Amino acid sequence: MSKNNIERISGRAPDELRNVSIKAGVIKNADGSALIEFGKNKIMAAVFGPKEVHPKHMMISDRAIIKCRYHMMPFSTDTRKRPNISRREIEISKVIREALQPAILMEDYPRTAIEIYIEVLQSDGGSRCAAINAASTALADAGINMRDLVTACAAGKVDGQVVLDVDDTEDKTGEADMPIALLPNTGLITLFQLDGNLSKEEFDKALELAKTGCDKLYKLQRDALSEKYFDGKNGNKEE
Amino acid sequence: MKTNSVERKYVMPGDVVIEGDHNPIANVIKSGNKIISTKIGMAEIAYNGVRVIPLNGTYIPRMDDVVIGKVADMNGFAWEVDINSWFFGILTGSAVFGRQFSSARDSMKSQFDKGECLIAKILSFDRTRDPLISVSGPGLGKIKEGEIAYITSSKIPRVIGKKGAMIKLIEENTGCHMTIGQNGAILLKGTDEARTKARNAIKLIGNQAHTSDLNDKVISLISK
Amino acid sequence: MPAVKKHRIVDSITRESIISNLANSTRLDERGLLDYRNLEIETNILKDKTNGSARVKLGESEVWAGIKVETANPFPDTPAEGVMTCNAEMLPICSQYIEPGPPDENTIELSRVSDRGIRESGMIDIKELCIKEGERVYSVYIDVAVINEDGNLFDAVSYAATTALLMADMNKFTIENDEVKMLDEKQPLPIKSVPVSTTFAKIEDKIIIDPNADEQEMATARVTLVTDENGKYVSGQKGKPGGFTFDELKEISVISKEKGDEIRVKIREAVKNGS
Repeated sequence: MSKNNIERISGRAPDELRNVSIKAGVIKNADGSALIEFGKNKIMAAVFGPKEVHPKHMMISDRAIIKCRYHMMPFSTDTRKRPNISRREIEISKVIREALQPAILMEDYPRTAIEIYIEVLQSDGGSRCAAINAASTALADAGINMRDLVTACAAGKVDGQVVLDVDDTEDKTGEADMPIALLPNTGLITLFQLDGNLSKEEFDKALELAKTGCDKLYKLQRDALSEKYFDGKNGNKEE
Repeated sequence: MKTNSVERKYVMPGDVVIEGDHNPIANVIKSGNKIISTKIGMAEIAYNGVRVIPLNGTYIPRMDDVVIGKVADMNGFAWEVDINSWFFGILTGSAVFGRQFSSARDSMKSQFDKGECLIAKILSFDRTRDPLISVSGPGLGKIKEGEIAYITSSKIPRVIGKKGAMIKLIEENTGCHMTIGQNGAILLKGTDEARTKARNAIKLIGNQAHTSDLNDKVISLISK
Repeated sequence: MPAVKKHRIVDSITRESIISNLANSTRLDERGLLDYRNLEIETNILKDKTNGSARVKLGESEVWAGIKVETANPFPDTPAEGVMTCNAEMLPICSQYIEPGPPDENTIELSRVSDRGIRESGMIDIKELCIKEGERVYSVYIDVAVINEDGNLFDAVSYAATTALLMADMNKFTIENDEVKMLDEKQPLPIKSVPVSTTFAKIEDKIIIDPNADEQEMATARVTLVTDENGKYVSGQKGKPGGFTFDELKEISVISKEKGDEIRVKIREAVKNGS
């Protein structure tokens, strides 16, 4: 892929994704849920709703409100994290909500709330992307009307090379990290963040690479839903 | 015949069900030239339009639906009934006690207390307010005995079957009497054995709603 | 999902079924009054970032525990003792009745009872957690996430925390030229005993063990009793606004030891298979 083909710390090829598995319907009490294992990341997402809005004054008469909370368990990181929600988690909650919201047909659910809860049980770089993949699977599992699923993946630059899916170790020494999320069928980018130092060429390459990651993850989301709802048959079966 | 042919396929949110000038009926949106599914389910493409029968999702109240719910709370003038939907069903005191209802005089608790189950009908529901329900009418009112089984509300048509064929099959073969709530709650009455058989049949339908030979599967289960 | 009120309501039909079953000494899921639900214990579920971890599924209640061992300054009044904290979180994912935000009194009770079950039982020998007196000690963090709630989280959390602690290891330290140095070598935590929690509930006048969510809601009183392998009673908590008679509590204490022993076997088995 790259002219240099420097071996990554993780041993992966520049365009290689970590091992990922997604399972839908893992929390009985939730309306929809999913567990994602993305490299060493282990993240659960649960959806409750549509339901009544509390407090009532926050209700919107012609559409749903979307609530999203991203939270990391104290044992999820290298150094134990205090249980209270941090500013970082609040920001990530917001960008995740804004990544998922465009896919949700909120006008179908006036005066209600749709609540998305994400718990990071183990974190190893790229958790917000993994979280989005789990959350959108959970939304579909909950039967929330969506115009598309939402798939997320990050690309970055490590050791001068543009690579797909930066893990925690690579992130610590890397030169850039760019997580994106998109609606796979329309190609609309709904999450975009960038940390680092990229030339125009590298920027374009990172975007393309991230998209290929999303393509692979989209298939896994479909597999997870297909496994639960269609006995594993592909989501395009003719009967 | 063209009018009777229905094309079916499994779909997920974002999947293009079909392209072209088709009429979007339910759980699909039109985007440019494409009809796109908004749910996980079975898409049906017929001459009169395209719809997706979802395999999940909460019950959306429709006028005249019979529903089975439980009283969650009450205030001075109405009961709030959990009907397994986005909102509580509202049963007004005046609907039960009559026009002269006064919360000071008439005891709400004496009629329906928290936790009690009832069979009700949806009087009205629209996008601007909570669904209103009524318990006046034949077959409606407090549930005193039986057992309630649950299934995703979108699968209720499969429990009923074409012209009631499935519910008839289950009742005749299990000896259990079933009252169907459109909200996914089914009241079972009968002996322990009858109810267990019916419950298992409902569970099977829930797991296999997306398959085609459901009748055979149910028969083979309850005939054991 | 149903619009939600603050807490679970058991409907009248289920309520009557539970009571009539109890009269025949059975329960809705066909258990006996003193039978536990199916208990699944999985170890090393979070092996990449924790010193020890376990996942427990008790019926449909599911919890994940993770141990982090770090170092810290000791408390001034206990310069040669390590520090331990136990924190159980009922996460909003586990139930429609849990709102995000500061923990409510039920969550706090769960957390503190779990903490005492480990601390007061002396499970971890905190005197063995001293690295350099007055300067550096081990700090053991036990955090438990509740993933799905279906009653009796007290026991589920206890089993997960205990298993995770038994599976945990920590870096060794040495003192060179009066300086604390971390070694690569690892050692297990200084475990002195294995406390096992048992929880009982009272519905009308029947005592049941391991209540599920509906049973817990209907119960007038609940009691958690923790025993260790030496038959000692090390922690207890009664909850819910009802009461137990002296005779009931005495009988419960006998059953608690019996059942505790049975479950201890399962925990040890899981630890053995996981190591």
